Amino acid sequence: MNDMQWTPIGSEPLPPPLPPTRVDFSGDRSEFRKMVTKGAMLELVTFGFYRFWLVTDIRRHLWANTAIDGDAAEYTGRAKELLVGFLFALAILVPIYLAYFLIGIEFERWQGFASTPLFIGFYAFGQFAIFRARRYRLTRTVWRGVRFWMDGSGWAYSFRAMAWGLLVFLTLGLALPWREAALERYKMQHTHYGDLRGDFEGNGWTFFKRGWWLWLLSPIALVIFPLAPFFYAEFKAREWRWWLDGIRIGGVSLSSDLPHDAFYGLYWKVIGWWTLLSMVFSAYLGGSALLVVQLSGVPADQVFGSDNAARSIPMVVMMVAGYLALALAINIVMRVYLQRDLWAKVLETVKVHDIGAASDVQGRGVLASALGEGFADGLDVAGF
Amino acid sequence: MSDVFAEAPAQAAKPTIFFDGTSSRRRQVTLTFADALEILEEGGTPVRWSYADIRRADSPPGILRLACTTAPPLARLEIRDAVLAADVTVRCTDLDEHRTSRRGVAKIVGWSVAATVSIVCVVLFGVPLAADRLAPLVPKPIERRIGDASEVQVKTIFGRSVCEDPAGKAAFTKLVNRLRDAAGLDDDSMTAGVLPTAVPNAFALPGGKVYVLRGLLDKAQNPDELAGILAHELGHLKHYDNMRGLIYNGGTSFLIGLLFGDVTGSSAVIFASRTVVEASYSREAETAADTFAIEIMHKLGRSPKPAFELMYRITGKEGGSTLTSILASHPLTEDRLARMTREDRPVSGPPLLTDKEWQSLKGICGSGKI
Repeated sequence: MNDMQWTPIGSEPLPPPLPPTRVDFSGDRSEFRKMVTKGAMLELVTFGFYRFWLVTDIRRHLWANTAIDGDAAEYTGRAKELLVGFLFALAILVPIYLAYFLIGIEFERWQGFASTPLFIGFYAFGQFAIFRARRYRLTRTVWRGVRFWMDGSGWAYSFRAMAWGLLVFLTLGLALPWREAALERYKMQHTHYGDLRGDFEGNGWTFFKRGWWLWLLSPIALVIFPLAPFFYAEFKAREWRWWLDGIRIGGVSLSSDLPHDAFYGLYWKVIGWWTLLSMVFSAYLGGSALLVVQLSGVPADQVFGSDNAARSIPMVVMMVAGYLALALAINIVMRVYLQRDLWAKVLETVKVHDIGAASDVQGRGVLASALGEGFADGLDVAGF
Repeated sequence: MSDVFAEAPAQAAKPTIFFDGTSSRRRQVTLTFADALEILEEGGTPVRWSYADIRRADSPPGILRLACTTAPPLARLEIRDAVLAADVTVRCTDLDEHRTSRRGVAKIVGWSVAATVSIVCVVLFGVPLAADRLAPLVPKPIERRIGDASEVQVKTIFGRSVCEDPAGKAAFTKLVNRLRDAAGLDDDSMTAGVLPTAVPNAFALPGGKVYVLRGLLDKAQNPDELAGILAHELGHLKHYDNMRGLIYNGGTSFLIGLLFGDVTGSSAVIFASRTVVEASYSREAETAADTFAIEIMHKLGRSPKPAFELMYRITGKEGGSTLTSILASHPLTEDRLARMTREDRPVSGPPLLTDKEWQSLKGICGSGKI
């Protein structure tokens, strides 16, 4: 590490290395909360179609408020691109889905449940989608008037992810650090900022040493349930720190001193909200049942009875409305804590070394289409 | 960065920075308001941005970040001084022209409501209609292929081999043939069998395959009980319920998945709404099959009631809460039994099987209990 140190005096005096720069996050929390609350309501009214706009707004907020070496990043993606990407992905996925169905029938004719492996095909496709979605997001990420971009092949990535996935499966999860290292290396080595090329220097062994005991202890969490969030938070913090420490772009490197217990509070807050909201929901159900019985004068056993569907309609409507409100509230909680707060928490620990290497980078790379995001949306996979 | 600062003379506390969109070099500039905005870097060529082409770009609070539609797409001008920023904002008339306005949001809401209404209408009216019309048109070989596939699955679950006791088989064939003739099913390829498993159930598969599980046979006390159930399954075959269900389920799960943005349909909302919609459709099919069973049994001069007494013995009273009756794929057994009691008529035809045949049918899977 060259931070805060003078190089030993040699025959030629070298210029002192610059101290590492910090990453600042200036996003206003209540502004973010208002944005996701409004977005969640609109998502409800539009039956989910608003998600393209909300996701774009969230990214714009997070990117624009993240400043590296004093200059804020910018997200130039737009919701319409995501919508078009989703529609294209549909046009491609629908015939595949149909073919899957027909091939499945032929397999089943030959041997019962023989078509199960076809699911693996969908998993591979999901990995492809993750890679392509990352490419879309990266080409919309701009810093100092130069964009990030990616080359490499989604299918090559998918093949690696599948092969490593098999190994992780066979070793009961022990190979996970090496899988993550290999996949991250592939992604980062095909990542560019202008004419600088990315790399990933983290290795599986380092990650393994930081987290192997969590793997050993994980069966305990199945028995003593309240331990599980602690274990998960430990794992995530260690994973983030290891990942950040490994990132290189040209001569620029990152490091992070994220403490191992950094996420305890976040996860417990989410669990607390979840519990609270579930309790409110149950109370609401009980209250509305009572109200329906009181107002309609129908005895309780008829409100829940089957013999008269018309009489139970008010109760069903109340239940559906309550469920949607619950889903909405949980959605907001997850976005505020697990996206915004986590983002801020991680960024405040990041140090950037030798940022001078990125002071005169030539712009390169072309925009990637949002098709990958569409696939990821259609297949319900998420990646980073 | 260091060299830029080294050359630049001491600046005001809040400098104006320009990125030309081709390099990440941070250029400290001064602005001049002429007929266009002039951006001047010391020792560089001035850049002119016409006021009408300047647009606002995303920025953190305290910084006005500008882009220009006629400049390289990633060229950015960052003004950190509030007074200067206000001066520029006044001159640029179309600064926020490209943003999503309130009207834009209303448009999104309007179109998605329209899309949802049309998808819901298709699910409620279009898909059942398509399923009813298409199911009889599905070529027999395809139907049989699907049937073969599900038969393999069923046999994997309920045991590989069909019960083969000769006397029992003869009695079973006789019973099935009488029902088939009464039902007017012309399908020669119809097959029926008893599978050796303790589960009390019976089902019809595409391509005319009817299976009775041994558990049901054990619980049946006379031929009429079994015949009614078989007649119900033949009703499913007669109405192409399998193919209708397949088209219907495939169609609705696809459309509802489309609505919630998930083609393969895995999230909870999709699962829930699919279950409700499909269960109501399947309840209709079950009621139609019950009607068919009543007709057949009356045609043969037997009562349909015993079959539903058998069913009631197996399931018990089912009704409980609203939720179970909304989610149930079959009508509740007590409701079906009540209907059969109304349709009960005195027996007028000959028994479907002799006592001896009935005894051998009961022993079709051998004597051993499973």
